[in-house]
Amino acid sequence: MFQLRPITKRRLQRFHSLKRGWYAFLFLSICLAFTVLAEVFINSRALYVQHEGKSSFPTYGDPIPGKVFGLGYGYETDYKELQAHFAASGSSSKVIMPLIPWGPNEMDYSVPPPAKPSAKHWLGTDIMGRDILSRLVYGFRVSISFALLMVGMTYSIGVTLGCLSGYYGSWIDLITQRLQEIWMCLPFLFIVIIITAFWSPGFVGLAFICAIFSWMGIASTMRAMTFKEKSREYVTAARSLGAGTGRIVFRHILPNTLSIVISSLPFQVAGGISALTSLDFLGYGVPPPMPSWGELMEQGLGRLDAWWILGSVATAMTIILISITFIGEGLREAFDPKRHSTYD
Amino acid sequence: MPDSNDIILEIRDLKMHFPVKKGLFSRTVGQVRAVDGVSLKIRRGETVGLVGESGCGKSTLGRCVIRLYDPTEGRIFFNGRDISQAGPAEMRALRKDMQIIFQDPNESLNSRHSVEEILEEPFIIHDVGSPEERRIWIRQLLSRVGLPESAAERYPHEFSGGQRQRIGIARAIALKPKLIVCDEAVSALDVSIQSQVLNLLMDLQDEMNLTYIFIAHGLPVVKLISDRIAVMYLGKVVEFTSSQRIYDAPQHPYTQALISAIPEADPEHRTERIILQGDVPSPINPPSGCAFHPRCRFATERCKKESPQFRQLGNDEHWVACHHAGELVATSSES
Repeated sequence: MFQLRPITKRRLQRFHSLKRGWYAFLFLSICLAFTVLAEVFINSRALYVQHEGKSSFPTYGDPIPGKVFGLGYGYETDYKELQAHFAASGSSSKVIMPLIPWGPNEMDYSVPPPAKPSAKHWLGTDIMGRDILSRLVYGFRVSISFALLMVGMTYSIGVTLGCLSGYYGSWIDLITQRLQEIWMCLPFLFIVIIITAFWSPGFVGLAFICAIFSWMGIASTMRAMTFKEKSREYVTAARSLGAGTGRIVFRHILPNTLSIVISSLPFQVAGGISALTSLDFLGYGVPPPMPSWGELMEQGLGRLDAWWILGSVATAMTIILISITFIGEGLREAFDPKRHSTYD
Repeated sequence: MPDSNDIILEIRDLKMHFPVKKGLFSRTVGQVRAVDGVSLKIRRGETVGLVGESGCGKSTLGRCVIRLYDPTEGRIFFNGRDISQAGPAEMRALRKDMQIIFQDPNESLNSRHSVEEILEEPFIIHDVGSPEERRIWIRQLLSRVGLPESAAERYPHEFSGGQRQRIGIARAIALKPKLIVCDEAVSALDVSIQSQVLNLLMDLQDEMNLTYIFIAHGLPVVKLISDRIAVMYLGKVVEFTSSQRIYDAPQHPYTQALISAIPEADPEHRTERIILQGDVPSPINPPSGCAFHPRCRFATERCKKESPQFRQLGNDEHWVACHHAGELVATSSES
């Protein structure tokens, strides 16, 4: 049943042959996989502890109190301390730490913050003594999931309204169009500031607010596409067979507008990442201490003498946004209808 | 020969006007009289050719008949039942009996659907058969229109123009309709392919007792397939009779001009070409009286003032809308 259309296959081949976009896609996929599995590589919890013949894997699951490993406290084990403790006592117990043994919210005051990059902290620490690399990686997870969530909501609103006004036309179109124009004039930032003044929106709420202010572009594209597809003869053919509106919209019109939606997707994701970063930078983004790029950027601008803070976050941001843009370009090129046929 | 009293479709004074809107408040400033009072009776099992220049309303008439447009005025009787006011539910059931084949199969087949999905759609919409039955039917349809069964898994763009038109025909006959409107069904095809598709259409007609309304702008094609031919000019049918009589004894000056324009294969043969002067007038603002009078060789004062009736000539199966029909036969057949 699931079989790729030949044209889709050719598009994927074309995307594969555009090296810049393809490598950017591989790179971003690796980044995504890495950020999903970040706990395994970058974490304050140990990967593996062997103590009195018992093995435990503290990476995922509930925190394990220090008492379990023979430390004299009931709160979560400090595994770096535990490692030192085992080494000092010369016992056979073992602790294996991740590659970078720092959690995103763990503060290290052994060197005065902000600390320069060193073997201990590869990209240094921020003004609160937190490992910057760790915060970058966890911050990327926040950014990308925010962007995907926001784009999902944006598209749901935009595609629905655009399709509706394009298909029905007349007064529905008139109302949707005016709504869209009015909405475009509202100053997004001021409204976010006003909203956050009396309501702390949280992660999903923030994505929703952003989506509410960014559906207009995709709605007008969808409206135009629907207008165009609706008047094509295959739609008339479906109507002459007796197809209802739902069938025409979902089986005929929407699939034919898909290429536009897909090729604009990466740019929307990049936009989502930038939006969250700028909101965080201004302090209206995700609540602290959630790791975020915008917050790091703000710190970095405040402490230009600690160049590694701003340097690392700006570099990370640039690389990610450029690779998403490359993917977008590649997709757009691969989906370019002029390459394949006149009618598609 | 179709029984002359078994009428499958009767059109009575059908009008289809499209409003011309202008300005901020979409005021209606005029009407495009695409179809302006057409009456025809079509018999079961016959092919009626509909010819005329582009813009004369023949496609609009075809689409009105199967209610792709809602006619402004007039009535359509299908199998004796008035369908001009039928609601959506009633129309859905009627769609099984009337189908349309389009001019450009590139446009009329959804390029995102495989042939299997395209041909399955009519069955899904009308909820006919189980998935297994549909699979078998689809393969039968394909072989019926002369395509291999393996075509089902492929997509429209993998076929040639003629093959794509065959897919369009297969879709149209899927539900075993009674009436098919062929809207320029072969005009976009190569001449060699045209005849193959025409033969297919004629075979299907014999087999399934189909009635065709065959819309085209080229007379030779229409003559080949039609039993009777209706000539349209500016939203009106000006002449309607058997295809033989249209050729041998055209009565309306416009038909005479059309017939004289058909090229002959014989280089020795000389005919007097009747060259029409001027352009087709705008259907928004048609001329007074007979719509054809500004271009007619025989126009008189009466033609400018009085719109001619669509009348039967004698007792023949010959209808014409011209004040001077009957008087003009000699002038044209002499040439």
